[in-house]
Amino acid sequence: MPHRGLKRAVLIALFSGWASRTFAGKSGETISGRVLLALRPTAIAELAPGRTIFLVSGTNGKTSTTRFLKRIVEQVGSVATSQTGSNLNWGIASSLMQPDEYAVLEIDELHLPSILAQTNPKVVVLLNLTRDQLHRMHEVKRVADIWHEIADVADETIFVADIDDPYVNYAISTAKKVVRVSFGGRSHPDGAVCPKCGSYLSWKDGIYDSDCGLTNRVYDRILEAEDASDRNAALANIAGALIAAPYLEPAIGELERTITRDLNGVHADIRLTKNPASWTEALRGVTAKDVILILNSRQVDGIDTSWLFDVSFQILQGRKVVVTGERALDMQYRLRVEGITSELAADFEAAMSRFSAGDNVQVLSAYTAFFELSK
Amino acid sequence: MLTIVRIHNELLGTYGDRGNADVLAFRAHLNGIGTEVIDVAFREKLPETGDIYLMGGAEDAAQSLSLMALKEAGSLSRAVEHGATLLAICAGFQIIGESFTNGQGDVIAGLGLLEITTTPGKSRFVGDIKVASSILDCEFTGFENHGGATEIGSSVQPFGKVLVGHGNGYSQLDGAISGNVYGTYLHGPLLARNPEFADHLLSQVTNTEMKYSDDLANEYARWRRKVTK
Repeated sequence: MPHRGLKRAVLIALFSGWASRTFAGKSGETISGRVLLALRPTAIAELAPGRTIFLVSGTNGKTSTTRFLKRIVEQVGSVATSQTGSNLNWGIASSLMQPDEYAVLEIDELHLPSILAQTNPKVVVLLNLTRDQLHRMHEVKRVADIWHEIADVADETIFVADIDDPYVNYAISTAKKVVRVSFGGRSHPDGAVCPKCGSYLSWKDGIYDSDCGLTNRVYDRILEAEDASDRNAALANIAGALIAAPYLEPAIGELERTITRDLNGVHADIRLTKNPASWTEALRGVTAKDVILILNSRQVDGIDTSWLFDVSFQILQGRKVVVTGERALDMQYRLRVEGITSELAADFEAAMSRFSAGDNVQVLSAYTAFFELSK
Repeated sequence: MLTIVRIHNELLGTYGDRGNADVLAFRAHLNGIGTEVIDVAFREKLPETGDIYLMGGAEDAAQSLSLMALKEAGSLSRAVEHGATLLAICAGFQIIGESFTNGQGDVIAGLGLLEITTTPGKSRFVGDIKVASSILDCEFTGFENHGGATEIGSSVQPFGKVLVGHGNGYSQLDGAISGNVYGTYLHGPLLARNPEFADHLLSQVTNTEMKYSDDLANEYARWRRKVTK
């Protein structure tokens, strides 16, 4: 490390992380990153050079794709990454304190331009852009615009982009080095208007054409994929191949964020859900006759719940549905309007108690509730 | 049979406003009234014989496209002239006014169904909102997320007086009403959070009182009014 100031800041940050882990029982990742950036605001830019960096961003699938890409890159060298999925500045700073040859980092959509400019990554993987936390993002197009601005000038970076998403395709439309990946097209929940020129997109069987020429008919790679997990695994492997990492087959369920819990003989498979696109994807996978839905509305969940009416819950018709969480009433009324009866429970434990020993319950859980259940 | 027309939902559907049509149909059904919900997409012909027309929130480019199609067709304006009810939220509300400023800073002439003008606010208005209704003896809650500030003229009355949030921007008022035309910034969806207003629209269109009381809807509305502060 060339700068003594940087070295000292890293040592103090590492110590604060250790103290947080040892005495407060926390991960220590956020605190050490915050301390580092407070002492040395330029730390990210100073720690980045000399290693090969991969960034992963998108509305859904960032954490699981980052973890899988880390496994791919680990086949060729040691990899720094965030242990906790912390994807803001301090999470990145904390990850880069690890002295590894490679770094694979998940980046919040709005932080991508700043982190990209500071780290000069070799590869940026762009997964998708759909409505999420609109109180913070405001509009999907706004996020695509700031991605486009940075992709336009990041001449040394290779973008691996899922261009079946028109927002992603627009974002990389003037980038110098791109691997445009198509999975043969799919519909997009917010894709009526061309993000590039504002004309009405013409869609047919997942293929779109815009007046300005934006289309997913033109690609560098075309692959088959069943669902979002398949797509993200393929994008990670394409990114890994850019440093000659061997192809890696994901384990079943590796690219979904799920945990399990057992309570009084009731088994729960809990899946993270966060916005209309991810709820729709998760609902598609409901097969159990017993279901729990958990809805919260803290910052990372999105504080506005209006989007519930943009999701079809018809697959829950005829199943036993228990709803809980801070915004359970929003969910219960939304289900009622769609003709689906549900029970209200005070919390997850109370919801589980509505089932009998031996039952297998599928749980779809908002972000913040998922994290509490993960502890 | 009541005809509910959801206008350009693929454009004017950014914030769950499609639910307003679902809630109207649901509550009409509870009161024994049959409904048909017609979704009219951007390139489709808008029928003039609907009873209730609904418009929702949108991003900039989508808002301009929707307005362009509605101006060209002229059918929404004719339907309203013939007495149809129109509820327009957020971007939809701006579209039916005299004018609004788009993302490029151009002033765009609206449909002129409400005497309102919208210009960019100093900052975006985002968060929970609560207003005292100017037509019913209750409060309405919702969520607002818009960059425009709206001034209303003397030929319209406000949709409500702002108790929490911003509404039209700086006047402590939200929305505008003129005859059967209602505009507001409240998403939520509005009619899911405020069953009294849904019933008001249904009563107005059918000339009958809505008698069914839905406990869950009432509980939900009460709770949102209590916690929005």
